[in-house]
Amino acid sequence: MDLETLKIQFYERVFPSLPNEWDVEEALSPLVAQESVQIEDVFAQIPAIWPVSHSLCFAYLSMAGPVFCSLAAEEQSLWVHTLLDRYETGGLHGAQVFMADRGQHFVRRLRGQGGLRLFEVRSRLQPYVNGLAGREILLIASDCASTDTECITLPSEIALFASNKENFLLYKLMVSFQWASIEAGLFTPPRCPLLSEETSHPLEAFFGDCTLPTTARQLYHFFETGRLLSYLRQELPGLMRKAASILPRLPLTGDTAETENLLDQLQRGLLRDDWTALNGSIVAQGAFKLLRRCEHKGADNQTSLDAVRELLPLLTEEEGDWAGTAPLVFQGPLRLQEIRELRMKRRRERELQFIKSLSLHIQQLRVKADAGREDDQESRNTAAGRQGQDLALIVNTENETRQTPPPTTSLRIENQEIPLTEELTKLAEEIRRDLGVLPEDYITSATGKAGHGFKATSAAAPAEGQGSTEPVVYDEWDYRRKGYRKQWCVVTEKALPTLQSSFIEQTLQQYKGQIRRLRNQFEQMRTSERFVRRQREGNDIDLDALVETLADIHAGRPPSDRVFIRLAREQRDIAAYFLVDMSNSTAGWVGQAIKEALVLICESMEVLNDRYGIYGFSGMRRLRCELFPVKRLDERYSLAVRQRIGAIGPKEYTRMAPAIRHMTSLFAKVEAKIRLLIVLSDGKPEDYDDYKGEYAIEDTRHALLEAKAKGIHPFCITIDRKAHDYMAHMYGEVNSIFIDEVRHLPARMPEIYRTLTT
Amino acid sequence: MLRPPLRIDEHRIEHEPYYLPTGDELAIAEAAYYERAPLLLKGPTGCGKTRFMQYLAWRLQRPLVTVSCHDDLSTSDLVGRYLIRSGEAVWTDGPLTMAVRAGAICYLDEIVEARKDTTVVIHPLADDRRELPIEKRGELLTAPPEFMLAISYNPGYQSILKDLKTSTRQRFIALSFDYPAPEKEIEIVCREGGLDLEMARSLVKLAAMTRTLKDSGLPEGASTRLLIQTGKLIGRGIPIQTACRAAVSEALTDDVELLGALDEMVSSLF
Repeated sequence: MDLETLKIQFYERVFPSLPNEWDVEEALSPLVAQESVQIEDVFAQIPAIWPVSHSLCFAYLSMAGPVFCSLAAEEQSLWVHTLLDRYETGGLHGAQVFMADRGQHFVRRLRGQGGLRLFEVRSRLQPYVNGLAGREILLIASDCASTDTECITLPSEIALFASNKENFLLYKLMVSFQWASIEAGLFTPPRCPLLSEETSHPLEAFFGDCTLPTTARQLYHFFETGRLLSYLRQELPGLMRKAASILPRLPLTGDTAETENLLDQLQRGLLRDDWTALNGSIVAQGAFKLLRRCEHKGADNQTSLDAVRELLPLLTEEEGDWAGTAPLVFQGPLRLQEIRELRMKRRRERELQFIKSLSLHIQQLRVKADAGREDDQESRNTAAGRQGQDLALIVNTENETRQTPPPTTSLRIENQEIPLTEELTKLAEEIRRDLGVLPEDYITSATGKAGHGFKATSAAAPAEGQGSTEPVVYDEWDYRRKGYRKQWCVVTEKALPTLQSSFIEQTLQQYKGQIRRLRNQFEQMRTSERFVRRQREGNDIDLDALVETLADIHAGRPPSDRVFIRLAREQRDIAAYFLVDMSNSTAGWVGQAIKEALVLICESMEVLNDRYGIYGFSGMRRLRCELFPVKRLDERYSLAVRQRIGAIGPKEYTRMAPAIRHMTSLFAKVEAKIRLLIVLSDGKPEDYDDYKGEYAIEDTRHALLEAKAKGIHPFCITIDRKAHDYMAHMYGEVNSIFIDEVRHLPARMPEIYRTLTT
Repeated sequence: MLRPPLRIDEHRIEHEPYYLPTGDELAIAEAAYYERAPLLLKGPTGCGKTRFMQYLAWRLQRPLVTVSCHDDLSTSDLVGRYLIRSGEAVWTDGPLTMAVRAGAICYLDEIVEARKDTTVVIHPLADDRRELPIEKRGELLTAPPEFMLAISYNPGYQSILKDLKTSTRQRFIALSFDYPAPEKEIEIVCREGGLDLEMARSLVKLAAMTRTLKDSGLPEGASTRLLIQTGKLIGRGIPIQTACRAAVSEALTDDVELLGALDEMVSSLF
């Protein structure tokens, strides 16, 4: 096919975009040689890729031809799907790397011949390692196995063995080994600290003092590996029994090296139990004996350090040059520097947190004490005068007979016993475990801070619009590729300011009669208790039934056994969220009507026991989807909530799906028989970027379907001048209502809620 | 439907139940008994609350009337009701009334499961009045000194719906239960599950692992009771991993991924 035809076809596919002709020609030229059937296949995927990225689409066109040759028809769209995923996680470069191997790797994996990737097994291994460690240790993809004690890095893929079962076993071994290195104290400093931790890890300092630092480090790690493997054999016998089949088959540097050094020989011995190479030399024999000592039950890392100290002097510089020998595959490098930095960081964080919490605590205690005293001025003066010379004394309030030191539950400051909060006690305990003592200057700076910063902190209310929770990331549905864009939208909850205005009073005044009527109607929906008569079992005797039964007996008729009365309670167990569109288009009458409707519904809901929450949503682009909690589910309908309703106003765009997904995740924490999500909007979902039209509608529809799958009933109220075809498709026929007269909304909304829940 | 009257003698505990004290709970409970104060036991499921009550009842030589509370439990279910028997209305005591009359120990298990209005009936019994009004008969029962009221609940649900009313909880002497320390738990699992020491140790290790998975989606880890059941399965010849799967993993969660992780723990340990 010639280039001109290709160009014409291409422009047809990407209409109305008009990309630069040079780029198009360059991208299409490799395709000229392809057969027209294949070009058809390649072109068929353009609509999925073009809207995502133009440069990706060009890169795709120039590289897809050969790839598509080797793929079956149904594999092609899967390949494009993976390509888009790669682009979204690794950028254009990631996508190019993926395309570079012409789909070989992809095909192998697809046909079940590839290795095992971390993301496939993470969901299984993450809770596993959390369970082992008793805390969260994050698993992170990297190029090799290692740990910095907070996280464990693992290779992003393992393809060492033909079967994925064995590859998985290796993953599991890596995780368990890295956990063991934390748990069994691989990183414990030597008993006699040589250098302070300020500059480097004490182990690093220990190696630095040896004649051959690098060798010492490698030797230590090797002995520790021996020790940890035996530790694992003891702690996780099942794992090690299984691992026995893969350990001898793990690759060794010695397998490919021309000459084997001592470390290679030792590694071979450790994994394959093949010690023959060691027979010749005395040093090797010594190393073998030392290894056995380290493997002995009850050995700790000091044993390995001693072993290093003992063996190192026997090695010449030449013999000890093991630069070519890599650590074992599950061992990975020692990341001492990072561990030290983490420890220091944690220590600093603890210090800051302790000082902050303690100063706040002291202030609170002072405020309480001052409130009860008239002569507060004097006492504060003396307190301020004496700070700096504050004497702190740790007072242990519990008896000293136990073996472990009891927790610090109070402090003596300025000759006053200050009880600590639970949080502070825990912090003090952590600090003491780390440093051995609770440093006095922590307490001094806290008291100092409490003296000075009194006014500043008491007025520290959350600033307007500040993020009130951690941002959450959600996937987004892309209908073109029938798959999710992974971790695509970032949703942040932001606080709305409380606004003092006459809006609420005016609304209450305006709808006075209606509110009264609504309250009456809603009252009738309240939990009802009624007696059910003629039951087989019940709390009391149903006298009418009993009389009948007795009469029946006397008359010789078969008597009924339904002679009891039962009190039946019908409980409304409903939780509802109202999700309110706060996009720019709601400015004016629509926004006003929505706010009025919210006031009305709140006023009516107050007579019911249903739990309900109100959230507003808006935002711009996928990384800034914002939700504004107006009323959280268990919050009271207080003045603050009313003021927040008053503060609802038009903001930015309508990216509705992430907001719906966030509400769905909020619902996951709610226990209720009926969970209702009511969305109030004024039209199509739309955002500043490409989020519009069919894409936005399909994504929203999908978010609603996800909610339904989680047992939530979504219901959408749309305010628009005329009904649109897409609405029924997006919301589902029965799950939406369309209101064309804005002024009817306030009245309709409680009515809708009533119909939905009765 | 006619029910036979409840008989108190059926509630006597003849043989000493196995119970390994983990602290001073026994001393406190006995002191409460002699001081006629009611008991509140809290703690996760399967950590030995019910067994403790059985043991206490045996030590004090009192019958133990246990009521498992559920959300349809009404006041009449506790106090009693009129039943029709051969054309006549006959009053039948509920378990609570029976326990009060007989000076037994009445143990309301998982009290938060019952509706809050039902639990109010125990208020006059739980303070120094120690009275149980039976409205339908116009009778006011005063509890004899031997009577004791005990309730239990599991604070781990963290649901506002399943919290105890403050007015209720403020009447009780509270004992907090938790899973026993590893050494004690091993002893318990050994003895109750009929396992050797090594196996019991591994099971307890497994339980400890599952109890730290709160943030990974497992609100409650394996209880001591589950470990004992696992031990019994193993004793009946079920292979260890199958027994762990049936009695621990599957009992704890339905989540496929968590099940996988639990399986990995089991296969690592055994």
